[in-house]
Amino acid sequence: MKIPNRNKLLVACVGLVLSAMPALAHHSFAAEYESKDLVTLTGVITKVEWTNPHIYFYIDVKDASGNIVNWAVEGYPPNTLKRTGFTRDDLKIGDKVTVTAYRAKDSTTRLAGREVTFPDGSKKFAGPAGAQ
Amino acid sequence: MTGSARYLAIAVCSATLTCAATIPRTVDGKPDLSGVWQSGGVSLYGEPGLGTRPAAPPPVNPPPKREPLPYQPWAETRSKTFTPADDPDLRCLLAGIPRITSMPMPFEIIQTPKKIVITYESYHAFRLIPINDKLQHPNDLVPTWMGDSVARWDGDTLVVDVTGFNDKTWLSGTGSFHSEDLHVVERFQLNSDDTITYTATVTDPKVLTKPWVTGALLRRPPNTRVEEYECNENNQDAPHMDVKK
Repeated sequence: MKIPNRNKLLVACVGLVLSAMPALAHHSFAAEYESKDLVTLTGVITKVEWTNPHIYFYIDVKDASGNIVNWAVEGYPPNTLKRTGFTRDDLKIGDKVTVTAYRAKDSTTRLAGREVTFPDGSKKFAGPAGAQ
Repeated sequence: MTGSARYLAIAVCSATLTCAATIPRTVDGKPDLSGVWQSGGVSLYGEPGLGTRPAAPPPVNPPPKREPLPYQPWAETRSKTFTPADDPDLRCLLAGIPRITSMPMPFEIIQTPKKIVITYESYHAFRLIPINDKLQHPNDLVPTWMGDSVARWDGDTLVVDVTGFNDKTWLSGTGSFHSEDLHVVERFQLNSDDTITYTATVTDPKVLTKPWVTGALLRRPPNTRVEEYECNENNQDAPHMDVKK
């Protein structure tokens, strides 16, 4: 019995690696966002859309010329965020947050949010890593 | 089997790896597949590589490794004409079978002696699957996104036969189209480590050279119930797909 069990465990380990690979739903990340163009922006939340298939929140960010630009930050679906500990109440209009996010391929002011740093310094993931 | 008995059984099985009989069963003796299941995603496994969830132990019965689709030459060529902008799921359409099983969202299996019901969070899909030992489908089928499912028990494995598909879904990744002749045989095998090994054998003689086998390991996501996912509520992504034909 020992040898089959060892083989079984080996096969099991290979299976785990395969099953742990990230799965995508709804849309291709790579077709919409630059997975290697991670930017960090600090701004004030102006609007929150806690919606499917993805949440969006919008932040006013001052650019290099001093102009205010409103960026849309896309995140996981609401249920996924709730299950990972990121709730709707975490995003408050008027709060100043720092966001790491991936630029849109079409050069619009859309971002795929990765991590949000809240006013108290705590951090939560809002969306997937670009390498996925 | 009570919850504590189930977990005791899992503990014993984990220690020995020789525990074929220690799975929960319904009153009629069938493996009890009831409950919420999920095949992947951050809400099941946590952030990849960051250890935000305890690592799952290796499964006792891993699913088959997914191979590339064995397309006929003309189908291979056609497959490459599609881009992510053509993905039916981008427009919130039903994901079809077997693709819906790999969505990173939970689904619930409700089991009775005569019928299996599967309710998917993704795209609000549902399947009402009669137990029918002859695997007989209705004779008035019109092609649909999720097809028509009937099931039988093969020992301790639930076998689901699915046909009656339209040709609008994808089987897995970008461009994985099929014809209306698609036929899927799914196998759900409940394991002693409280996982389900899911295997789907896909045949489509119009586009494939041979059957294609894919699979997934289903786990119970912690503290999770199937909830609403109204995908068309705020679907902004489609116009922003930057793809080249």
